Amino acid sequence: MRAVVIGAHRHRDDISGDAIAIPLGDLFLSAVELAPQQPAGDRELLIRVAKIRARLLDVATFIAVRYGFVITNESDAMSKCGAHVDRWRALLDEHRNDVELTLKIAAATPQPRPKRTEFANGADYLRALHAATQGAAIDGAFREAVDARLVPLAKQHRWIHRDNASMELALLVARERIDEVNAAGTALKSFDVPFLLSGPWPLEVFAQEVEQ
Amino acid sequence: MADSDEELSLLETLDHLLDRGVVISGEAVISIGDVDLLYLGLNVVLANVDAIIRTARKT
Amino acid sequence: MITNEEERLREQLSFTESMIPERISADPEVVENGLARLVLSIIELVRRLLEKQALRRMDAGNLSDEEIERLGNALMKLEEKMTEMKAVFGLADDDLNLKLGPVKTLD
Repeated sequence: MRAVVIGAHRHRDDISGDAIAIPLGDLFLSAVELAPQQPAGDRELLIRVAKIRARLLDVATFIAVRYGFVITNESDAMSKCGAHVDRWRALLDEHRNDVELTLKIAAATPQPRPKRTEFANGADYLRALHAATQGAAIDGAFREAVDARLVPLAKQHRWIHRDNASMELALLVARERIDEVNAAGTALKSFDVPFLLSGPWPLEVFAQEVEQ
Repeated sequence: MADSDEELSLLETLDHLLDRGVVISGEAVISIGDVDLLYLGLNVVLANVDAIIRTARKT
Repeated sequence: MITNEEERLREQLSFTESMIPERISADPEVVENGLARLVLSIIELVRRLLEKQALRRMDAGNLSDEEIERLGNALMKLEEKMTEMKAVFGLADDDLNLKLGPVKTLD
């Protein structure tokens, strides 16, 4: 058997529908079985898994595993994920009724990509690439509005520089406050700033130990 | 929802699936079309950059 | 999902999904002609993933100076080779199938 893993869940009953449940200590991994020669990178499968993820999230929050991780059985799962179980259990217990919401914002000052040919060595080039992601700043007034109206609604938040033309805000929000966050997001449309507020999502950013 | 809105929603959903979440010991799948091409540890890829380029040159 | 200014948004945000090439034909003749394209698509995909990963580790601050040098050099070299090979095979970025393919809607 080959199955692509969707996430880590606290209880067996948290997993249903088209996903199978694979025990991992006292936790459970949700996964979708692959047909014998079926590749995990199939676009149709990706879309199907996305829908299954959304349905699983309706039941309870889980820890999202990045797509592409394939396991064969229970002991395979344990040998690869065993080290994470304690940390995952703590997160799942603490955040059972919390979800992630994501605000992506186009930078007012997108940074041009550094030109490779202008650098003598790799270290300088990589540092310049990194600086470009840090340099992309969003409109000040918009940032203030986000800090004032959205951040207070969240339990935790994290500003992330993903690339040289945008910024991202990850919010950890109690389920019952999703509507409030969406309302605050809708109000942001009065600014002339391109943004995208999406979610709810399972634990993604807030499940990571180190920035992945 | 307008077409572009649906498309954006799909892009965003797939972005979350593919680019977020916990990574298990650096394993990653790269596939093209119907074929799972590589199931590799990223540290292995870094070490084999030269080999990949040499192989491509022969083609 | 709540958005503003979709057009400008599409220009500035980069989505991972657009890194996945479209389906490649299984027809042998087409495959043979497209082999250079296929191989270069793979390398370009790997290059982008490596770059993303490197930048994230820079964010986390968990790279030694030596690792930054090694990673930076690998990325530079990859990029340089890609530029060379695209020129050799007369391929542009568009040819590497790295743009978004036809999008199916969620039902």
